[in-house]
Amino acid sequence: MSNASMPKIELPGIRNVLAVASGKGGVGKSTVAVNIAVALQMQGLRVGLLDADIYGPSIPLMLGVQGQVDQATTPLPLDRHGLKVMSIGFLVPPEKAVIWRGPMIHRALTQFLTQLDWGELDFLVIDLPPGTGDAQLTLTQTVPLSAAVVVTTPQEVSLIDARKGLEMFREVRVPVLGIIENMSYFMGDDGKKYEPFRSGGGARLARHCSVPYLGEIPIDARVAASGDEGTPLVARHPDSPAAQAFDRIAKVVRRELESAPAANPLPGLEMT
Amino acid sequence: MTPTRIRLARPDQLTILWQDGLTTCHPLERLRKACPCASCREESGQTADPFRVLKPAELEPLRLVKIEPVGHYAYKILWSDGHDTGIYSLEYLRGLEKPELIPTT
Ligand SMILES: Nc1ncnc2c1ncn2[C@@H]1O[C@H](COP(=O)(O)OP(=O)(O)O)[C@@H](O)[C@H]1O
Ligand SMILES: [Mg+2]
Ligand SMILES: [Zn+2]
Repeated sequence: MSNASMPKIELPGIRNVLAVASGKGGVGKSTVAVNIAVALQMQGLRVGLLDADIYGPSIPLMLGVQGQVDQATTPLPLDRHGLKVMSIGFLVPPEKAVIWRGPMIHRALTQFLTQLDWGELDFLVIDLPPGTGDAQLTLTQTVPLSAAVVVTTPQEVSLIDARKGLEMFREVRVPVLGIIENMSYFMGDDGKKYEPFRSGGGARLARHCSVPYLGEIPIDARVAASGDEGTPLVARHPDSPAAQAFDRIAKVVRRELESAPAANPLPGLEMT
Repeated sequence: MTPTRIRLARPDQLTILWQDGLTTCHPLERLRKACPCASCREESGQTADPFRVLKPAELEPLRLVKIEPVGHYAYKILWSDGHDTGIYSLEYLRGLEKPELIPTT
């Protein structure tokens, strides 16, 4: 299937659209999406975050939004931690969303992108649903993605599915900025580094598939606690090693996308 | 390095102004001979065919008919001799002629 086979949504006010993807659920994709978005925002950029993981919308919890939002009184996207945020979880309880069918979900996401007032954004970060099924394929083909990052854990089962994700982006010609290995290691109270899973899998996969390796995020109870309490780690514990890893990744994303000439097309011939 | 302006300041010369303020001037004959496409590269490695009949367009002075961006990395040129398979990458173009500092008019 080619990229040209489906018309792309136009997002004129948004300069870069970054997809955060994973082959499996539970690897920390939403955590990475939220923290990269806040890191970019803290670096002074205008950033939006779209929760496209219809089957497990966790962005509301991670940003401290409880229950549903009354559209009549609260304009969407919401303003949270300096981000413009939208999630299907703002409109329906997560347990209701799971019964939705593909086309309905796609229509909802298209509406979120085209009907809401996102204003001018330097980055829109999209938390994609995990996996490489039809829903993901349709999304990657209709949303004008500038690039993607793929999140995996060091376990073999996660790496195998991450690889399918890489192949999907290759097929739809979305550049992959790199692989992020989450939950790579933890620091013991004794100051030693522990690797509960066989380490180095993310880096190996990157090498094998010729995409950059963006680095690893340690296991840190503060990552989960910050998510559960609604203030992302990079805002709450900016000096923690995990927050610094997110910040570094956000900088690489900027370097890769802002230096890409995509913003200015090459000049044409002037007739003089 | 990316160009900011590209123009035919003279009918026989393509002028490219680059982001860093330097300019490269490309005489069209030289630019045509430097065509990076596979068939031109092959030809330039061989001795010229003495019996080759010139096409009418080749007897006229060479003109650049069209130059258009290819993605964000190159230009494709259509020449008056009908040749159009050369994709000149920005890097290649910048290296073809010595960049100079020329005040813009
Ligand atoms: N580096 C980490 N250290 C500790 N806990 C983490 C880390 N990354 C993610 N988690 C926790 O793991 C769980 C799953 O993460 P989540 O981002 O929701 O995964 P996904 O979006 O891939 O399903 C969450 O409770 C989250 O707080
Ligand atoms: Mg999630
Ligand atoms: Zn040629």
